[in-house]
Amino acid sequence: MGAEPAPRIRPVPLRMRLEPLSENAVERIHRAALEVLRRTGMHVRSERLVRALGEAGADVDADQLRVRFAPELVEEAIARAPSSYLLAGRDPACDITLDGTHSYLTLDGCASELVDLTTGERRPSTKADLEAATRMADAVPEVTIIWQPVAARDAPTRVQPLHETHAQLTNTSKHIQQMTAIDPDNARGVVEMARIVAGGEPELRERPIVSAFQCTLSPLTIDGDPLEAALVYAEAGIPCGWVSMPLSTATAPTTPAGSVVLTNAELLGAIAAVQLLAPGAPTFYGVCTSTMDLNSGSIACGWGPEENLFSLACGQLARRYHIPSELGVFGTGAKTQDWQAGAQHMLSGFTSYLAGGDMLCATGTIYAGRVFAFEQVLLDSELVDIIHALEDGMSVSDEDLAVDVIDDVGPGGHFLAHEHTLRNMRRNWLPRYFDRATWEEWEAAGRPSPRDRARERARRILDEHHPDPLPGDVEAELLRVIAAHEG
Amino acid sequence: MDEKIAALREALYALDDQAAVGITRELIDGGLEPQRVLQEGLAEAMLEIGRRWNAGDVFLPEVVAAAEIFKRCNEIVEPALIEAGGHTLGHRVVMATVKGDLHDLGKNMVGAMMKTAGFQVHDLGKDVPTERIVEAVREMEPTIVGLSSLLTTTVPEQRVVIQALEEAGLRGRVKIMVGGAPVTEDWAAEIGADGFAPNAPEAVKVALRLAGSERPEA
Repeated sequence: MGAEPAPRIRPVPLRMRLEPLSENAVERIHRAALEVLRRTGMHVRSERLVRALGEAGADVDADQLRVRFAPELVEEAIARAPSSYLLAGRDPACDITLDGTHSYLTLDGCASELVDLTTGERRPSTKADLEAATRMADAVPEVTIIWQPVAARDAPTRVQPLHETHAQLTNTSKHIQQMTAIDPDNARGVVEMARIVAGGEPELRERPIVSAFQCTLSPLTIDGDPLEAALVYAEAGIPCGWVSMPLSTATAPTTPAGSVVLTNAELLGAIAAVQLLAPGAPTFYGVCTSTMDLNSGSIACGWGPEENLFSLACGQLARRYHIPSELGVFGTGAKTQDWQAGAQHMLSGFTSYLAGGDMLCATGTIYAGRVFAFEQVLLDSELVDIIHALEDGMSVSDEDLAVDVIDDVGPGGHFLAHEHTLRNMRRNWLPRYFDRATWEEWEAAGRPSPRDRARERARRILDEHHPDPLPGDVEAELLRVIAAHEG
Repeated sequence: MDEKIAALREALYALDDQAAVGITRELIDGGLEPQRVLQEGLAEAMLEIGRRWNAGDVFLPEVVAAAEIFKRCNEIVEPALIEAGGHTLGHRVVMATVKGDLHDLGKNMVGAMMKTAGFQVHDLGKDVPTERIVEAVREMEPTIVGLSSLLTTTVPEQRVVIQALEEAGLRGRVKIMVGGAPVTEDWAAEIGADGFAPNAPEAVKVALRLAGSERPEA
């Protein structure tokens, strides 16, 4: 009757798939992106790197810092990117291999505010908040990769990413994906810290306990610092992906296919650039393409039909290139855990899973990624739990078809206490947060919402969960790295 | 013998009806006081299953299964108990799905949960004519009568039963609980019932309150 101990991480096996684009449509988008890279090219904001890319075969305009790629060069470069690699956990039980067989959910990043667990009010985030959010995510098996959910805004700006890395290395033994170190100096700091925890340079290369990603600037721009940072990571053997986040209608064409072409061109361009300069560097194809609200001009705040289509289309493209994908998920414009957040999260969660995303980013924010809420991580974990159950599918063994049992019970009986029920009922899905109480119980309890239950659970986790501590004086060494970079 | 009684409890926890029935028979045939078999074995096991249900370790189908095993074992114990002049379990509850209604699942669940609280449950079945309920109340003198109906078309029968009990002069001697999907607190008040519960676990709490104790004397 007892439950088994929960696993440290719960990746979702990728067995179902939805592919709305025909093979021909995928090829048209692919060729259109190659044409964009050949004709328009990308603005790379670094003289040094533009020169280096010219030497590596790209067609460069050094004055305009414009880099154009011949289609063959792009094809050749992206073919060097590995199709599978390890994202290690400090705890080996949290190891992840990106190989197309499972989907891994990341913790969100990087909100500048959060909903305070005590007051329920929104306020600017601190390093202590980041520590708490990381610690909670360490205890939630559905969260398998740790981004920086909130910014350590009380840390010195120049080394803020290193403080964030420190807060996480000390509060989780899951794989950390560093998204805030977007300049070479901070990237070097992250590498130094990761080496200390991993036990050395070859140890980190063998088991990268940290990965990273950089973003393109839509449309078609790569800033110098992020590209330099990507090269720092490449040299250290730390996987570093690229994420494109265009806003359809504003920084990408208003048509869905046009937005996907632009997204694809940016990712192929950025990945090709790194592969030309650091062949074979592990990377991924990251997509957070969204839409602009036509009335206000601001981000449309989460998942409508377009975002779901972007995800499905880009999943198909990433597979065409044999590069692991990181697809957007759980985006909402809601300000709390309400119907909108639930609907947008369930739809996007299932869609991006069906899109075959190797990594799904990300859980924990509301208000278009700007505000972190502890409750959201737990409620999203319930949605992932549902996807797990859907993915399990329906077994049709004799035991499952239960013809003998139906005959045994016969017309008018009940299956409640049948041994077949007792044997199999624990395979049924049970909610942790969905409300199944009677109206009377609900009223007697003060009309609690799923959010209230999640908040209670979040508090309990923060009270009770202690992540694996770092050994010996490792933490002191991490702090010395930060001090050195700050000085 | 204590070990055998413990084994009986374990058989109920394991939902092993063959073992439970076998041990019960062995104990009774071996001359152990039927009162002890009932109290320390069967009733204690049901109370423990109720505690486990409360803790979320046991699900309702398991409670129902345990209650069915309990019933089979109790059929062995009861004749010996009566012969020995011992006390049966505490408060008696008579339950029925009212006339015209064939839905007895909810009532069965309530009956099973009641047993986990130590009640002595007499289930009259489904589509039970009003006269039979009145007769049962007269003969068994239960503390509580539970009336179940799932349909909006059969719910009025609950009022009919209460009126019949009044006419028979029995209303004052018994507490009446009503339940079923269309039943609400307001309906219960309107027809003059003493208690209402929206589901089986809640029904146990209401029954305990109506019986005037946290747990009926067992």
